[in-house]
Amino acid sequence: MLLSTVILLPLVFAVFIAFWPQQRTLRHLALGFSLIEFFISLMILNQFDPGSARLQLVEKFTWIERFGIQYFVGIDGISLWLVLLTTFITPIIILGSWKSIDSKVKGFHACLFLLQTAMIGTFLAMDAILFYVFWELSLIPMYFMVGIWGGARRIYATIKFFIFTMAGSVLMLVAIIYMMYLTQQATGVMSSSLLEFYKVKIPFVAGTFMNQQTLLFFAFALAFAIKVPIWPVHTWLPDAHVEAPTPGSVILAGVMLKMGTYCFLRWVIPLFPDATEYWAWLFLSLGVIGIIYGALVAMIQPDIKKLVAYSSVSHMGYIILGLFVLNQYGITGGIYQMLNHGVSTGALFLLIGMIYERTHSREISKYGGLAGVLPIFTIFFFIITLSSIAVPLTNGFIGEYLILLGTFKAAPVYAYFAVTGVVLGAAYMLWMFKRVFFGEKGELVKDEHHPLHDLNLREIVVMAPLLVLVFWMGLFPNHFLNWTKSSVDHLVNNKNKYYLEIHETKVAKGYEYGN
Amino acid sequence: MEINIGLADVIRISPMIAIFIASLLPITTKVLSGNKEPNNLVTLIQGIAGLIIGLVLLTVVGGSGELAFSKSLVFDSVTLWMGSLAILSATGAIIMMYENYATNGRQFAELIFLALNSVVGMLILVSAMDLLTLFVGLELMSLALYLMIGMSHEEKYSKEAAFKYFLLGSFASAIFLYGTAFVFGTTGSTNLITFMQEASSLVQSNRLFLFGISFVILGFCFKVSIAPFHAWTPDVYQGAPTPHTAFMATAVKVVSFAAFLRVIATKSLVGSEGLFDVLQWLAVITMIVGNVGAIVQTNLKRVLAYSSISNSGYILIGVITAGVSDAGFFGASSVIFYLFSYCLMTLGSFAIVSILEKSENHMVTLDNLKGLASRRPVYAFCFSLFLLSLAGMPPSIGFFGKFYLFNAAVGEGLIWLAVWGVINTVISVYYYLKPIVYMYMSDGDAEIAGHNLNATTVTMIVSAVFITVLGVMSGPIFSAVEKSFIN
Repeated sequence: MLLSTVILLPLVFAVFIAFWPQQRTLRHLALGFSLIEFFISLMILNQFDPGSARLQLVEKFTWIERFGIQYFVGIDGISLWLVLLTTFITPIIILGSWKSIDSKVKGFHACLFLLQTAMIGTFLAMDAILFYVFWELSLIPMYFMVGIWGGARRIYATIKFFIFTMAGSVLMLVAIIYMMYLTQQATGVMSSSLLEFYKVKIPFVAGTFMNQQTLLFFAFALAFAIKVPIWPVHTWLPDAHVEAPTPGSVILAGVMLKMGTYCFLRWVIPLFPDATEYWAWLFLSLGVIGIIYGALVAMIQPDIKKLVAYSSVSHMGYIILGLFVLNQYGITGGIYQMLNHGVSTGALFLLIGMIYERTHSREISKYGGLAGVLPIFTIFFFIITLSSIAVPLTNGFIGEYLILLGTFKAAPVYAYFAVTGVVLGAAYMLWMFKRVFFGEKGELVKDEHHPLHDLNLREIVVMAPLLVLVFWMGLFPNHFLNWTKSSVDHLVNNKNKYYLEIHETKVAKGYEYGN
Repeated sequence: MEINIGLADVIRISPMIAIFIASLLPITTKVLSGNKEPNNLVTLIQGIAGLIIGLVLLTVVGGSGELAFSKSLVFDSVTLWMGSLAILSATGAIIMMYENYATNGRQFAELIFLALNSVVGMLILVSAMDLLTLFVGLELMSLALYLMIGMSHEEKYSKEAAFKYFLLGSFASAIFLYGTAFVFGTTGSTNLITFMQEASSLVQSNRLFLFGISFVILGFCFKVSIAPFHAWTPDVYQGAPTPHTAFMATAVKVVSFAAFLRVIATKSLVGSEGLFDVLQWLAVITMIVGNVGAIVQTNLKRVLAYSSISNSGYILIGVITAGVSDAGFFGASSVIFYLFSYCLMTLGSFAIVSILEKSENHMVTLDNLKGLASRRPVYAFCFSLFLLSLAGMPPSIGFFGKFYLFNAAVGEGLIWLAVWGVINTVISVYYYLKPIVYMYMSDGDAEIAGHNLNATTVTMIVSAVFITVLGVMSGPIFSAVEKSFIN
């Protein structure tokens, strides 16, 4: 029942909040709810057996018998940390938006919890239709979040976001239906269970496009590529990020983009192994282009938020690179980088939101000399900047290092180009940092009518867990990676005949990996 | 030809008889009380009571698969499900008529009389097995509708709409009859049962039969507004009073598709490659025309009219699937389920339009929605639900409707139709999201009409609840529909 609780509790919270009569206590209630959800999700760690590559904590009920559709959820090392990232980041978002969301507070928090349900459901669903339901459901709250609480061009941005993502995923729906029929042919029973899908051998012909596995591969990959987003279908992201309110940006960068990369790992790579191997060059190239393109475009942005948005494109390029080199290092690095990006980019958006609340501007040229005025803010921003450009001892380093290591092993050519991203990343972040925090005081900073105040206690509390994670993940990566190791090994070793078994018995509590 | 009509026949058509008698009540009362309009509420209750009795009788007598009146009527699953759906939609529509400015007040008794007779026509249409009986049902349904639209209190557009609908409807009927004549000429019968077996070979061997059956199908294409025969739809939907538009978009469409299914079930498509291709292209064109047409509309009713056209395109995919499949009941069930979801969403949407109309001459535009969410959150929320469901967002019923429809198509190998369907879903998202943008993301002073709207609101809320609840629980319903075919 644990996973269902984690998935459905936020939905209950959303309904509860929608009917909560008091405006004044709404945020406190939402914060409390999100913390409850976080602590419940921590119980997953308690019951999860990190030594097993099997699917754990499985719950399975028949949903639509006619088509073999089930309510089927389960967790393994690949999805574990993403679920926890989602539940971890929600209370931070609620506390971070304490002051910035001042209208329609009730609707905002209801949307946030609905989104949480959809995202956790996407990570845990093991049935294709259930997965699709959660996947599409996540669009609706995000659409409202950007559209109602966003900036000046919010409507353009939100519709673009919605249509882009939907355009990708509808073809996936046809592909899922087709997979259901293939499963019926192979096993005699129609099913939309992912575990049944894994058993189907889909005919593949190298070199041609019009064969079953290639077409299915691209139908799925397109949906996820748009979500990630991979260059050249990334254009919705900068718009959505810039127009979204701070909490929207945080959740978008922190979790929603990971839905795309996670699904590559869960769906595309194991389901279509031949096509993945054959077309890996395409995704590796697009990943590398994304890294360099994102970095170059970020460099010239006059708007801090847009700069970070393009840096996301660049970072997500790394993850794609890591996943498609198809070896232990790459995939482990990819998973780690998903978490890193969630933490550091989420933190960057929070920090940008904090300064925006004070000055109502995000233009880099209007800042300058902030370091002398807002020392705590500067320190925080600097640490997160270092994490974002992957300086050793921070979390970013581990992820990028593993990805580049994996790429060098598998396909060095791509690595030669990808490493330039490291340099470019340092360049645009540090240059931005210089322009904002050092030098002459900018017009917003020296404005004597509106003196700037440093971070207050609430804002420090918001940032503290993220800063702790930056160093924790940077210094002790194995605290996290040990939990995912078995699943990744299993995926890499069996990538041509992937299967997933259900973990039947629970391991005695107190079991610790490595003891 | 010997015609035997027994008591069994009369019992089977008892739903139609019941509804017809109920339709006479208000108008008789009016005549007997010296042409004084009876209380509208009493009239409404009589109408609803008649429809509900009809529905109960239909569930009792329908669905057995038995024939009546020398094989000209059949009471099988299609009759049962589609007939019930039509009656329920009609109930929703006449509830809206009671509270809409363009239809309530004077002449309400006549309106209910016509509406109920239209429903009688629909029941004949869904149960007809003979092309001529089918025509009788079609005409009874349509003639009542022409009058209903023309009777609107709105002065300008409704008369034009009624006339347009009448002209084009007659044109469609003429085409249908023309086709029927050819079918009769080649097979010696107008009864679908008699040429059910050989239709697939006749379309190959006999050009005149193919000609006839194509014209019959074209007649239906007019009725269910398949492009390029859709041109009347936006104008008529816009001009007709909103409850009537809801009536046309739901009940009329359901029964027209039911009859369409019956003709297609003769497997004419299996024999004729050409006809099969043409229909597939018509489905694709209809979806595109409907969705692209809707994007540029500003009048809310026209948006919904184009949405209705595109939905006809989706449903046609299911009809084609049912027509070529060996196990046609899967396709037919998906059509029935889709129509069920479509009726809920469309009825709800038109209920919102009706609620927003501030006078009989008021044309609701998208601008009238600005800021509705902050003033009337419940209405805005329900309308968003309808629109998202129409756009096929899970877990609403609209998603499952599309899922079953496309599933049937993929199962039959018509993957390219399913792909066109989902691509069109994406196009449609743009205009379905637009009203939500106006309601939630723009400032304005949108307000609902001032008078009593309780009954319409209840219709809307019932639709909204069904859309969410039945979406998640759609499996058993779909299986029930499908099982009723197998038995």
